[in-house]
Amino acid sequence: MDRSPLMRLLNKVNLPLLLWTVLLVAYGTLMAASATSGMDGGAALVKRHVVGVAIGVGLLCVTWTADYKRLRLWVGPISAAGVLLLVAVFVPGFGASAHGAQSWLRIAGVRLFQPSEPAKLVLIIVFAAAIARREGKMDSRGELLRVLGWVAVPLGLVLLQPDLGTALVFIAITAGMLLVGGAKPRHFAMLGLVGLVAFALVLAPGILPRKFALKPYQRNRLMVFIDPSVDPKGAGYNLNQAKIAIGSGGLFGKGLESGTQSNLNFLPERHTDFIFAVVGEELGFAGAVALLALYLALLITALEISTSSRDYYGALVAAGLMSMWTFQVLVNIGMTLGIMPITGIPLPFMSFGSSFMVTNLAGIGLLLSIWARRYGT
Amino acid sequence: MHLSALLRLVHPKDEHVTTFRQELRSRFATLGLLIIVVLGALFIRLWTVQVIAGERYARMADDNRIREVEIEAPRGRILDRRGRALVTNRPALAVTAQAVVAEDAGMLSRLSTLLDMPVDEIEERLCSSKQAPLEPRVVRLDVPMEIVSYLAEHSPDFPGVRVETIAVREYPFGNLAAHVLGYTGEISEGQLGERDLSGYRLGDVVGKAGAERRFETVLQGRKGHERVEVNASGKVQRHVGRREPIAGRDVVLTLDADIQRVAEEALADAIREAHAQKFRKARAGAIVALDVGTGDVLAMASAPTYDPKLFVGGIGSRDWKRLNEKSSEYPLNNRALMAAYPPASTFKAVTGLAGLEYGVAREWSTYRCGGRWTEMGTEWAKWCWSRGGHGGVTFRRGIEDSCDTVFYKIGYELYKRKKEELQAVARKMGFGRRTGIDLPGEVAGRVPDAAWKKRFNRFFPEYSMWLPGDTVNMAIGQGDMLVTPLQLARGYASIGNGGLMVRPHVLKEVLGEDGEVALRYERQEPGPNGVRAVNLAVMRRALAGVVERGTGRGAFAGFAESVAGKTGTAQVKGKDDYAWFVAFAPVEQPKYAVAVVVEQGGHGGSVAAPAARQVLAKLLGQPVTEIHTTDVSR
Repeated sequence: MDRSPLMRLLNKVNLPLLLWTVLLVAYGTLMAASATSGMDGGAALVKRHVVGVAIGVGLLCVTWTADYKRLRLWVGPISAAGVLLLVAVFVPGFGASAHGAQSWLRIAGVRLFQPSEPAKLVLIIVFAAAIARREGKMDSRGELLRVLGWVAVPLGLVLLQPDLGTALVFIAITAGMLLVGGAKPRHFAMLGLVGLVAFALVLAPGILPRKFALKPYQRNRLMVFIDPSVDPKGAGYNLNQAKIAIGSGGLFGKGLESGTQSNLNFLPERHTDFIFAVVGEELGFAGAVALLALYLALLITALEISTSSRDYYGALVAAGLMSMWTFQVLVNIGMTLGIMPITGIPLPFMSFGSSFMVTNLAGIGLLLSIWARRYGT
Repeated sequence: MHLSALLRLVHPKDEHVTTFRQELRSRFATLGLLIIVVLGALFIRLWTVQVIAGERYARMADDNRIREVEIEAPRGRILDRRGRALVTNRPALAVTAQAVVAEDAGMLSRLSTLLDMPVDEIEERLCSSKQAPLEPRVVRLDVPMEIVSYLAEHSPDFPGVRVETIAVREYPFGNLAAHVLGYTGEISEGQLGERDLSGYRLGDVVGKAGAERRFETVLQGRKGHERVEVNASGKVQRHVGRREPIAGRDVVLTLDADIQRVAEEALADAIREAHAQKFRKARAGAIVALDVGTGDVLAMASAPTYDPKLFVGGIGSRDWKRLNEKSSEYPLNNRALMAAYPPASTFKAVTGLAGLEYGVAREWSTYRCGGRWTEMGTEWAKWCWSRGGHGGVTFRRGIEDSCDTVFYKIGYELYKRKKEELQAVARKMGFGRRTGIDLPGEVAGRVPDAAWKKRFNRFFPEYSMWLPGDTVNMAIGQGDMLVTPLQLARGYASIGNGGLMVRPHVLKEVLGEDGEVALRYERQEPGPNGVRAVNLAVMRRALAGVVERGTGRGAFAGFAESVAGKTGTAQVKGKDDYAWFVAFAPVEQPKYAVAVVVEQGGHGGSVAAPAARQVLAKLLGQPVTEIHTTDVSR
């Protein structure tokens, strides 16, 4: 090992991952500023976004410098804290609702964050520990079910809110980690079947008690995905307007702050769930493909980190993060392009929302930590 | 892959590979594949949406944000022959409301209080099916400023109600020439199908009658468009483009406002005079004044008249009903061309010309009038209006004193020739068909003949034969003969002008944008009326004699210009006699022809002729005086 100290330090830092992250966050901030330029209080929103990024960067430094392996020792308290947060939203005085879901944590009347966002990270950390204990083997159904027990509690809690989008992200994370954790194809087939039956039960009105059935608006969103013309002024409106925004962007877009669909308010939720439509409209195919390329770079880098992890645990955590991002990119962009249902899943690093931004940046910190310790410490 | 190459630069590949990594290699490959499939699918979808369908979506985005707002084109004005505006436009503050407002009883009562209008009238205006369903309707025009400001302050209480400035028709001369000018209104379903109105839409304001209707396409102009960008809530953000409206063209009529006013006053005087002469049912009538050389209509009056202002901003159904009731004598009708009357003795000029043409009469033929005429047999005896008889009369005297016997005789002689020559002459002089005047609604009148009678009475065969009495009755302008005042004026004009059948018209010219003449009325060469010049000269002398010493003498006593004319007193079953006078002047070089009719006005010489005198006086630059005289002739 005849490397200079600088090279040794550089060897510990995954520069590409840092670069992609910086680019994505910058891109997101730029689009947030453009999307909110015509809104009342747009500047305040951008400020909040930047504050979210700052908190996220702070947390990133913590997760980066700390040894990720120590998280395994804290699985008990961490999962307890996660469950506590998810339960807290139901406690009167602590919970607040948004878009029909009891998803916000509120203390002294101030909305703090959405516990379901850090819960994604908690799920990854805890679930990875559960699988890692089995050293890549998951031969029996009993083992599989025992592992899945760790997922059942948080999944049930977000479904109670009800936050269908986050629940789907949980499922995607679980599936990705099970894949790396050694689940067999027949396991996936079995789980898929169970999921389908559950989905059918939930979607068909009147079978389940009202408490567990989908809310009418959620049902509507799924129906609209199947046929947007059922509701051109309601849920279908969002979808149509998003598609018009992206399509009208053409090759090179209409220019920042010049998107007619977004600046004239035709595009709903344009700085949050539909931020990609603003990218497509204002920067066109070129801007949208650049974003896809950034995601590809980020995910491949994460894959690289996962494969180079010195232990099973790190590989699983990285795989969980990768699954989360891949799924969210797929569903969010797919939604605005009309190939996925409208589920209210935000776009990583791009959508407005501090809870989500902080979670993602903490995840990046974990990846950096896994990379830095790939040779052991 | 570039990326791994780059990574390898910074992190040279590990030499020592742990066993579990090898184990996981295929699983990571699956994960990597998934990532590539996901992003690849999104890429392909992005390509189809943005590149392949981009233009379609761009159009949809434009449809979203661009609204076209129509800009009304100012309607052309209507001027008299000397350039005075008879119809023009003015901006008016109007309270308008969407039709749905009618469904809100609370709002209706609030509007009723505010605008001081009965609720049912507001409702009726809002529910008018004559308008496009989504266009706001005018509830009240010319609202006072305090109502405007009240509505502005309380606009949340009045959703769908707005104050707008709209251009409406204005009539600087009041109801002068209302029948010629006509009125405007929202296009009706029926009008949408009319040929010259193709391309019009529900809600467009169009001419409904008179010159407004006839010259609609010239007056209308072309609407402009304002393209504005709106946001999702429909609020205007900025103006994108504009096509200026093209103002409608000004139309100059042949009418002379001064002559027109005198004609209308003369008609009113004549009706008053009829009342004074105990003809109390007189309410309606018409006057036409023509230029005998050109066919220019210099004045055209019809009574009773109406106020075209009622139509501004949409006429209320109560007013509309009133204007179309029998008891109101249908004031919207222009009787100068929409009403056909028996011409009575005014037709003797036509009969006389037919007699001269076919040799059954000469200027100095003599006749014997004993009051009762029995040539067709005693059971078919007919009386002259002068029951005592005129004694020995010449053809000339027959015209001057309007002796019925002379014309019974001529009619009977013509009947005996069995060639329907009276009808032929009448038709050549323009009767029985439209004059072709450039105003809507003209009727043809009727020249009865054997074929007509057979057809008319086809279900009553016993009455279908043309009888000698039919021609004899027609000879004195009674029986089934019907003419419009316009036809009569034009027929007399042809006697005065040497036999030319001019086409009467009200259009003089159309002005261009610069106010210069862009289009002049194109006069066709008038055809002959078929009567030889010598016979026309005989008739001119006879008609001059009417005014000089005959039935028209009293009305024209002291008149400085020479006038040729004929009185008429038409008998209409179940009604009082209709008074007629038709004239042209000056006799030596006729310039103008005037026809006057007063329904149930009594005698032509004492009711209609004084009115004709007033109009001719104005036309010829003489003092206009109202004359009271007596006449007992027919």
